[in-house]
Amino acid sequence: MTAPTLFDYKEVVGPDIIEELTILASHVGNRSIKMVNSTAVGGGVAEMLHRIVPLLNDMGIQTKWDVIKGDDEFFEITKTFHNALQGKEEYFHEDVFKTYLAYNEKNNDEMDFDEDLIVIHDPQPAALIHWHQNRKNRWVWRCHIDMSQPNPQLWSFLKPYVEKYDAAIFSSALFSTELSIPQYRFYPAIDPLADKNRELDASYVDSVLAKYGIPRDKPIVTQISRYDPWKDPVGVVQAFKMARKYVDCRLLLVGDKAADDPEAEKILEKVKAEAGDDPDIHILLFSPSIATEINAFQRASDIVLQKSLREGFALTVSEALWKGRPVIGGAVGGIPAQIIDGYTGLLVHSVEGASLGIRALLTQPDFSKKLGENGHQRVKDEFLITKNLKRYLLLLLALDRPQEQTIFLN
Amino acid sequence: MGDVFQFLSSASLEKLTGRKAYDLEDLLDLIKTCPDSSIFYHTFSAFLKMREVQVPYNTDFAIWVSRSLNEKALAEKLMAVDLSEYNTIKTLKMRFIEIIETYREQKPDAFQKTANEPFYLYDIIRVVYPTDKFAYDLKSFRELLPTISVYSMYFHFIESRLHTHLQTDDFSTWIEESLNIPDLAQMIRKIDFNVYTLEGLRTRIIQLIDEHLKEIEQKG
Repeated sequence: MTAPTLFDYKEVVGPDIIEELTILASHVGNRSIKMVNSTAVGGGVAEMLHRIVPLLNDMGIQTKWDVIKGDDEFFEITKTFHNALQGKEEYFHEDVFKTYLAYNEKNNDEMDFDEDLIVIHDPQPAALIHWHQNRKNRWVWRCHIDMSQPNPQLWSFLKPYVEKYDAAIFSSALFSTELSIPQYRFYPAIDPLADKNRELDASYVDSVLAKYGIPRDKPIVTQISRYDPWKDPVGVVQAFKMARKYVDCRLLLVGDKAADDPEAEKILEKVKAEAGDDPDIHILLFSPSIATEINAFQRASDIVLQKSLREGFALTVSEALWKGRPVIGGAVGGIPAQIIDGYTGLLVHSVEGASLGIRALLTQPDFSKKLGENGHQRVKDEFLITKNLKRYLLLLLALDRPQEQTIFLN
Repeated sequence: MGDVFQFLSSASLEKLTGRKAYDLEDLLDLIKTCPDSSIFYHTFSAFLKMREVQVPYNTDFAIWVSRSLNEKALAEKLMAVDLSEYNTIKTLKMRFIEIIETYREQKPDAFQKTANEPFYLYDIIRVVYPTDKFAYDLKSFRELLPTISVYSMYFHFIESRLHTHLQTDDFSTWIEESLNIPDLAQMIRKIDFNVYTLEGLRTRIIQLIDEHLKEIEQKG
């Protein structure tokens, strides 16, 4: 299948939105962007770049994407950086910082940075800026992780590099930190034409459910998430069991498993123990999952849960809302940005809350339908890839005119 | 304004300031010290954010005071500020300060409350740009109204009064000055945008124009 063009999105977001994107792009003119991150496959950042880079090119913004190189030693370090920036306690020996800088320098020597705007994603390549202090172009650091409580030792090392950028971008005010440079908010976004989100034939949805032996005889309540304690799959089973005293339904738990993740195995065992031999609880484990099948599971569900105890942005919520499903989400991380309680879904804080939510939504189909419709609109307004295209265009304009609060284009 | 009406539109880039309020004293300080563009973001541009949920709240300040501090009376006082009466942010800002300071005198205990969820202060960069849609008369204006984006609706009916410093919207000004239809202009001007969603606003304007056109036809 060929990648969708900008005009393929017309039907999904409306012609007015695409027309205005095209007009804005014409004002931005013949500009170029380079995206830099640390992996070409796997993970949300790479997934987003695969979609947004061709679309920016479609709009006449020449956009390239480079991936930095490193071996196991470097990526072990950056993995600990990732966790520590999200608050994990960790002590770093000075040599670790030297090694990190050495890999950044080596990458810098092998890359060129001639574009008008350089967007560096996440901490792995963040120090590249060090070798570009007398630049003529603009550099922006796009941080996709929660930086609200960074490890102080690591942050005192990285912050001077970050503050050399022209600006930083965070996914939410909750995830940002105090910096001396301008900060912008770009919500993460889903692609409505990606396999995970595009429309599916009802017959395909039926065939996926049949393939995994899930009967369609009663409402289906689903959580699609890694088997990770912060996603609280055990709490989901408990909430389901409490709700089922009042409403007849099935529970579908769907999760991916990394090849070497012993913790996931332990959590999975706990989930299975909690579920017992209940025939209405279906636990699926993929390695990895198929995007269209995940799409089918969401579309077959009467309720989608994301009962997390701690979260990043949790775009799985937007994926389900986009499909018009009523969603019950834990009130953590980026979930409250997507779920306006009682309007685009239900926010909960406990197993009991999730259980009540299941009962309320299954017994009030009109209310469920309305939440799904509102949720779809909320995603359309804020969390689609087309909105992020617009943000990049606005960023190019704003960086050109840093003193102007209102930019008038003629 | 000339005879031809070119529809403009606007877009915004949200800036994070890193500044937060946990109580009313913090909020007052934020309002006093923040740039006008932050006040604009939390008031005028709040009209772009899910009005269906926010009505009757017309500012982020009122929503936070109501939901996070449970100070309903103050929220109502903030909500009662009719944004259509303000064509500069400075005067709007002074009004908010006055309301909160008066409330502090009346109910000092409210200033002791701390919210679990802070108020995050944002700032904004606005970009205003022309679209390729032009109206030459009332009929072509009416035909184009359903096709313009909500951002264009929002710009002409709500935001532009800050640029023109007039207590009126662009549509009624053009209808009065270029088309010379003062009665219709007056009715459009009287629409209370504080209580409408942008789609609701669009529907209401179309309805008024249709009624006017029908009347002309009947007189015809």
